[in-house]
Amino acid sequence: MNAMLRETESTAAPLSVSGLVHCYEGSNVLTGVDLTLEPGSVLGLIGRNGAGKSTLIRTMLGLLKPLRGEARVFGEPALKLDDNTKARIAYVPQQPEALAWLTAQQMLDYVGRFYPRWDQDFVRNTLERWQIQPNKLLAKLSPGERQRVDLVRALASQPELLVLDEPAAALDPVARRELLREVALRAGESGTTVLFSTHIVSDLERVASDVAFLHQGKLLMRCSVDETKERYARLWLPGKMSAAAPVASLSRRRYDDGSLSLVIERDTRGQWPEAAHLPGARVDTLGLEDLFVEIAE
Amino acid sequence: MDASLLTVQPTAPEPIYRQIVGQLRRLIAGGQLAAGDSLPSVRDVAGFHAINPMTVSRAYGIAESEGLLERQRGKGMVVAATRKAIQTESHRLALLEPQLQALVRHTRELELPAEPVLRRLTKLLGE
Repeated sequence: MNAMLRETESTAAPLSVSGLVHCYEGSNVLTGVDLTLEPGSVLGLIGRNGAGKSTLIRTMLGLLKPLRGEARVFGEPALKLDDNTKARIAYVPQQPEALAWLTAQQMLDYVGRFYPRWDQDFVRNTLERWQIQPNKLLAKLSPGERQRVDLVRALASQPELLVLDEPAAALDPVARRELLREVALRAGESGTTVLFSTHIVSDLERVASDVAFLHQGKLLMRCSVDETKERYARLWLPGKMSAAAPVASLSRRRYDDGSLSLVIERDTRGQWPEAAHLPGARVDTLGLEDLFVEIAE
Repeated sequence: MDASLLTVQPTAPEPIYRQIVGQLRRLIAGGQLAAGDSLPSVRDVAGFHAINPMTVSRAYGIAESEGLLERQRGKGMVVAATRKAIQTESHRLALLEPQLQALVRHTRELELPAEPVLRRLTKLLGE
């Protein structure tokens, strides 16, 4: 029986939501989101400001009750997680506020007791490298420093599921690279599942295995980073040829001179739509950032 | 070989795993990496560039299936011994294929006939 229980525990997706709908004061934030994270994957969540990234993350973790829909963490309903499951998760909000009356060291010592795999050496080394005074009250730290302390807390607990909301905002380029290295190696070697939201697309391109793009409360795209780069491109057609444009495209923009720019997708045989081969047509491969700007505008 | 010899441009349209395979092909074809040379471990490459280890494994896997690399007990990945094959003209020409395809595409976009482009290319190659 125990073995069976463990079986379902280990096979359940670390995070999974379906049909999430949420709104604040009448304006829709999430309008039907389905998303599942496979164990060991690193999912980068991007979207414009106000796209609903933080709301989605909080709902996925059961910190916010959605208007409709269901969220599960390791197979359990997110709103009713038991302590064992909570110990497997670490979440770093954009603006950590908890335990502000403690010093960084006191908070880490206190919190560390709840985690069976707490890594004290990591705490010591990282506080030093990230230049945080351990004896300063959390309330007196800058927002960036607060988030760094919280990142240390999250990583030291050696979680199976790591959720980071805009972690890059608080870090300088060197510390950011260090964080990415931690995330990448833990995912690759310990099988840690990671969800992080970010504005900095190049961070995502480094470490993420998958990308999800949240736009106006919906997931516009959800696929592997490599596949996204290989599957989409921008097609530019001169005005006289714009009638030949494929009907299906992710975005479509017409310029004053009548020319047309579209985001196109390879078909199942890996071919671009026919219009891409017309004389005068231009196909540009896109980095993720360009792709998202094209689609989000 | 050191992990820092590989360059990774995360924002490039080309996926990182392909960037790595492409560099391995060129380094081996150009003789900078010789048969038996050890490659940095997946962990070293992933750690140095702060990229997902799975990306590096994928690149190494492809290079292995192409016969560029082989797994050697105790040493990890090394440049394959039978690398003579890649030195043949057709193999080296195949490495130019993406650039040639791009040239063809640009030529079409500019609506240029083939002849002046080939003339110019011949001249450049002769220099």
